Amino acid sequence: MYREIYPGVYEVDILNASDEDLVKISEEMGLNLSLDEMKVIKEYFKKKGRNPRDIELQALGQAWSEHCCYKSSKYWLKKYLLGFKTDYVISTEYDAGVVEFDEEQAYVVALESHNHPSAVEPYGGAATGIGGILRDVLCMGAQPVALVDPLFFGELSTPYEKLPPGIKHPVYLLEGVVAGIRDYGNRVGIPTVAGMVFFDESYLTNCLVNVGCVGIAKKDRIIPSKAGGEGDIFILAGGATGRDGIHGVTFASAELTDTESTRSAVQLGNPIMKEPLIHACLEIVEKGLLTGMKDLGGGGLSCAVGEMALAAGYGAEVWLDKVHLKEKDMKPWEIWISESQERMLLTVKPKHVDEVLYIFRKWDVPASVIGVVKGEKVLRVYYKDWLIYEMDIEFVTKGPEYCRATAEKREKVEVDEVKEPEDFAKVFLKMMSHPNVASKEWVIRQYDHEVRGNTVLKPLQGRIGFETHGDAAVVKPTESWRGLAITADVNPWMTRIDPFWGTASAFDEMVRNLVAVNSRPHSFVDCLNFGNPEKPERMWEFVESVKALGWMSKEFGLPCVSGNVSFYNETPYGGVAPTPTLMGIGIVEDVRKAVTSNFKKEGSEIVLVGETKREFGGSLYSKVTGMKCNVVPKTDPKVLKNYAEAMLEAFKKFKVLSCHDPAEGGVAVALAEMAICGIGFEVDLSFTELFSESNTRWIVEVKNAENFVNFFEEKGLRARVIGYTGGDKLNYGRFSVELSEVEKAWRSGFSKFLR
Amino acid sequence: MDIRVAVLRIEGTNCEDETVRAFRALGVEAEAVHLKQFYSDMIKDDEVRSVWDYHCLVFPGGFSAGDYVRAGAIFSARVKSVLRKDLEEFIKEGYPVLGICNGFQVLVELGALPGFDEDKPIAEEPQMALAINDSNRFECRPTFLKHENRGKCVFTRKLKKEIVMYPVAHAEGKVVFPRGKEEEYLERLIENDQIVFRYVDPEGNYASYPWNPNGSFYNIAGICNVKGNVFGLMPHPERAFFGWQVGREEEFFDGKYVFESVVDYLRKFY
Repeated sequence: MYREIYPGVYEVDILNASDEDLVKISEEMGLNLSLDEMKVIKEYFKKKGRNPRDIELQALGQAWSEHCCYKSSKYWLKKYLLGFKTDYVISTEYDAGVVEFDEEQAYVVALESHNHPSAVEPYGGAATGIGGILRDVLCMGAQPVALVDPLFFGELSTPYEKLPPGIKHPVYLLEGVVAGIRDYGNRVGIPTVAGMVFFDESYLTNCLVNVGCVGIAKKDRIIPSKAGGEGDIFILAGGATGRDGIHGVTFASAELTDTESTRSAVQLGNPIMKEPLIHACLEIVEKGLLTGMKDLGGGGLSCAVGEMALAAGYGAEVWLDKVHLKEKDMKPWEIWISESQERMLLTVKPKHVDEVLYIFRKWDVPASVIGVVKGEKVLRVYYKDWLIYEMDIEFVTKGPEYCRATAEKREKVEVDEVKEPEDFAKVFLKMMSHPNVASKEWVIRQYDHEVRGNTVLKPLQGRIGFETHGDAAVVKPTESWRGLAITADVNPWMTRIDPFWGTASAFDEMVRNLVAVNSRPHSFVDCLNFGNPEKPERMWEFVESVKALGWMSKEFGLPCVSGNVSFYNETPYGGVAPTPTLMGIGIVEDVRKAVTSNFKKEGSEIVLVGETKREFGGSLYSKVTGMKCNVVPKTDPKVLKNYAEAMLEAFKKFKVLSCHDPAEGGVAVALAEMAICGIGFEVDLSFTELFSESNTRWIVEVKNAENFVNFFEEKGLRARVIGYTGGDKLNYGRFSVELSEVEKAWRSGFSKFLR
Repeated sequence: MDIRVAVLRIEGTNCEDETVRAFRALGVEAEAVHLKQFYSDMIKDDEVRSVWDYHCLVFPGGFSAGDYVRAGAIFSARVKSVLRKDLEEFIKEGYPVLGICNGFQVLVELGALPGFDEDKPIAEEPQMALAINDSNRFECRPTFLKHENRGKCVFTRKLKKEIVMYPVAHAEGKVVFPRGKEEEYLERLIENDQIVFRYVDPEGNYASYPWNPNGSFYNIAGICNVKGNVFGLMPHPERAFFGWQVGREEEFFDGKYVFESVVDYLRKFY
């Protein structure tokens, strides 16, 4: 079936292949293509009157992977989510969204998953995740200014004997992932300012590592991810190409079956190649020397060249032997699809080639001319003098699209067994020490969240040495006082019970966090982590989630500017909870007016804004007490909008000392987080008000609470004074606990599992 | 005469922008300069520089060359191989040199700190080290520093406050001296007025972790050479330069003193 036609290049006989043979070819070559897809390819080559070469089939395997072409998701994304834009959205068509920041500048934002690599090799997987998202932002011509890392693992207390064979312990994975993010992010000099760490048993065999990045660029210097024009030269810059990361995307587009033998699919990161690569690319952008730029990620050169050419409506010719390699004797197809890190592909007018190469050389970044943009929409690849690849760009790069079957699995009957605890204080301390709530200082301090010197609100806020968690980080990316607020949110306990309302709740929480720091919600990006889409129940979860996102986005008026879908987060032991991670971006008018979450003064009044309902589905209270409830909090985008607007107006009108949103653990936990820096409180709350996790609520520390409350009531919105700050006790009315005891539980609940 | 400052960089230095910004905010000319611009013949004429184009050199924070060996080792080796003579002359003439975080590590590896010998400002071999933090990991956290210099260090002469707050962010910042010579070194440092900053708690008491974030000997956070014109410190004054960087309403914050002092020194120097 395979015949060597040039050294290292094989012709694959598919014209005479039976269905069985086609499946066998797909498997043997690691293409991960279905029989139907192989048949389409057979038809295509029948018309061409020849058999394909291995490099051509490999290219199709990359381009048609779920990871590259979104074949299972794009139908639903187009139907429900995409298409809604506001006038300040500049572009959503490339790897990262571009949104107006002010008159001259735009911010660039992207969020991605790096799940399978991290489950197999946590350190390298997470590090290259950072590298990849930085390139997505850089390729738009933007200076990266902040990194964000939402992480999801199995429970840290999992006994070793309960681990399925070949599965790595959550503590090992967490430590490896954090070290990978730390060593890459810190070295490359971009602050890691926000994120979340969530533990749930469904992530035991398939952890999730999502990485987000925000950058800033001059509007007139935004670089499209497409080839400039006919005759432009392709320059490949950055790290050498090696055998690492071969079949990364096909590996990410199938269920994870074995975490030991797939290590070769994980790339190797090198931040000290990336750091000068960023400088060099930005210098070239600043000097206006390029016409297009794209990063090499999934599918390597194969996808980057194809996508750049297709987006511009051109073809290309590539000389594969010009690519600088890590190791000799790589086969042409390996060079073509390798996912080696730290590489960028540029198109440059011929007259600028020398200057561009000089700039790369100055920064000690290897770069070579590897091809040229052609008018005909065909991609031709040469190796030495041999033409080894010739296919129509559209056929390769567009990829198939599926509308897969769905099957609802929502529980039809409402269950609510939640009742008051016998010992309030005991349950409350259990909540405060739950790893999902407890202090993440152990993680946060390992990331340099201040490099670049522009981090205004840091992830840990309040009295030095006694800090608490903030709601959103704020960075000041330019000379002006305007800032960007950044938050990442999702509560998978809710999405698992009800993917629709769980996703709507994630959106609500994202808006609350942005508003809490006094920023106006401006845009968001999503990273949709789901199980195997070929299973109708998983597909249903996905569709519900996308529906909710689309509804919230359009009704609230917040555009989704970029995103990523990660399917097949599933092993033979089960799939992950539906995890639609959202990263929200808010605009802070003046960074000096950003609001932090810790109580500031003794004797100020505490106001609860919003309405509390009995909604314990997916709540922390339900988790720690084991009392079942499937009533997931609902929300209404219009109501959320009204509250958000009123809050932002109130920040202008009143002296707001601190603000925090209740999420996991409800108002009880939120108040404690505000107090942990050293100021206690006295409030009076009902059981439901204490622990229910209803959406669209904020806790505010304020002077002149009466006027503040009136202001909301006049708008027909709810707000009431619930108590006062002061003392060294957390007095909830129904129960009271010493601040020091709470602080101890909160500070050690997570770190006690770690070294 | 205009004061010109060079913030040196190689691959992996990453605090150059905010360091340049701090100097520029005080109205002096500052630019980030790649080490190659001082010696490599591949650099275009308009980008070629000499040490003598500047009045102050700064080694900024970051992970120069990845710090995969010892922090600062590679950067300092490259400086030694191409700039040693110039740099030695530069220091002897009294021009100031600053090293922040990774830059401090570079100056130590270079032998420019502690810098006991005025006639030989760059020692043959390192005389101290910045070892791995006691916590054995990278830590990014605010620290309080007590200013203990009696006037020798040209980078803190304008500092009127006793306690300042600068954040640290490093994995290797623990000051250690050769075993058995700690007390001897310490005496010399104190006698020569070379100790500049020591870690303290919010009340100003010498305290252990987390206030001393790395386990540094004698809580040392920053020292200068015997002449007072070479200064290295682990904490980042450029991250506490403006009030907004640390949540304060004032326009400037504690970090400004370091930059202001050296600019003031340079203005008087001419």
